[in-house]
Amino acid sequence: MTTARDTISEIGKRADAPRFYSPPLAPEPEPEAKQEIGIRITEQQLRARRSRSIAIALALGAFVLVIFAVTMVRLGSGVLTGPDYMRPAQTSK
Amino acid sequence: MSLTVAHAEPSLAGVGDYIELMKPRVMSLVVFTALVGLAVAPGHVNPVIGFAALLCITVGAGAAGALNMWYDADIDAAMARTAGRPIPRGRIKPGEAAGFGLTLAAFSVVSLGLLVNVLAAVLLAFTIFFYVVIYTMWLKRSTPQNIVIGGAAGALPPMIGWAAVTGSLAIEPILLFLIIFFWTPPHFWALSLYRAEDYARAGVPMLPVVAGDRETRRWILFYTLVLAPLGVAPWALGYAGPIYGAAALATGAAMLALALRVRRERVGHTASKQLFAFSILYLFLLFAMLLIDRMSLGGLFAHFAA
Repeated sequence: MTTARDTISEIGKRADAPRFYSPPLAPEPEPEAKQEIGIRITEQQLRARRSRSIAIALALGAFVLVIFAVTMVRLGSGVLTGPDYMRPAQTSK
Repeated sequence: MSLTVAHAEPSLAGVGDYIELMKPRVMSLVVFTALVGLAVAPGHVNPVIGFAALLCITVGAGAAGALNMWYDADIDAAMARTAGRPIPRGRIKPGEAAGFGLTLAAFSVVSLGLLVNVLAAVLLAFTIFFYVVIYTMWLKRSTPQNIVIGGAAGALPPMIGWAAVTGSLAIEPILLFLIIFFWTPPHFWALSLYRAEDYARAGVPMLPVVAGDRETRRWILFYTLVLAPLGVAPWALGYAGPIYGAAALATGAAMLALALRVRRERVGHTASKQLFAFSILYLFLLFAMLLIDRMSLGGLFAHFAA
């Protein structure tokens, strides 16, 4: 506790004297509420997306099978022998 | 200042909505008529190639249906008959439908060209173009002759089927084309007679909206008078046998009788509804008889044998 007679220098010698001016700190800012970035998918939307994905997979699988089957039909046994330029040349006697 | 990030809401559309977008009922008629074109064509087609051709035609028809629903979403929303379709109902966004339709169209045409033959692929591409651009985008909103000219798109599948087998065209598939072409006006005008208010609300200039009931009934009779002999023509010209001929004569006479009833009808739409329903059966019977007549069951298997 300081009295009226205390001088500034005397105050400075005391152990509990303030060493520097420290303005009261501003209160810590509240952390901003975390905002959801992007799209939150509902259960129903997730189900719809899954069913669409399965349908696309099945359609692509069927497409591959059709291409395979038509290739087999069109080439027949030729698919095993390969194109002409890969066959060994026949030598005539 | 707040920053709003606009984003697309994830779709709720299921597989069923996309199937609905392809107009499965129209697709089934397309598949059937294409199958008949494929089956009655001379020569043999491997069953795998035949199946691939039918699959491509089916997917192409579905693509055309999806693109039609994309473009006509505003009309569909205004009509009671079509308000429940996936786009007006909000299940599928217009952009999704357009992307779906274009992808299927490209896939079906390219696949048909690579797997079967180029003529069939060109005909399929033309059919999709005609239905989407000529009929949907242009004729439907501009003239009461929309379904007359636009009917060509629906009439082409038997020609595609024929071309898939032979790689060429002939008078027989052209006859099949003409039968469907002249079948379309009585079929759709019979429907539009009792849906005229719907079409008027949507701003579609169907014949009953523009010219009135009386004129429409007159034109229904006119087109049926052309259709009935055309239906008999494959038999009369020797392309089909007596089973087909008898069926074509009997069903053609029934179509004519119904068209006459529609012409005479002054109150209500009973006859129009009967004609609409019978016209579907008529086309189905005609093509089914052609299939049965042209080949026995054994012949059908032989036709599809390698």
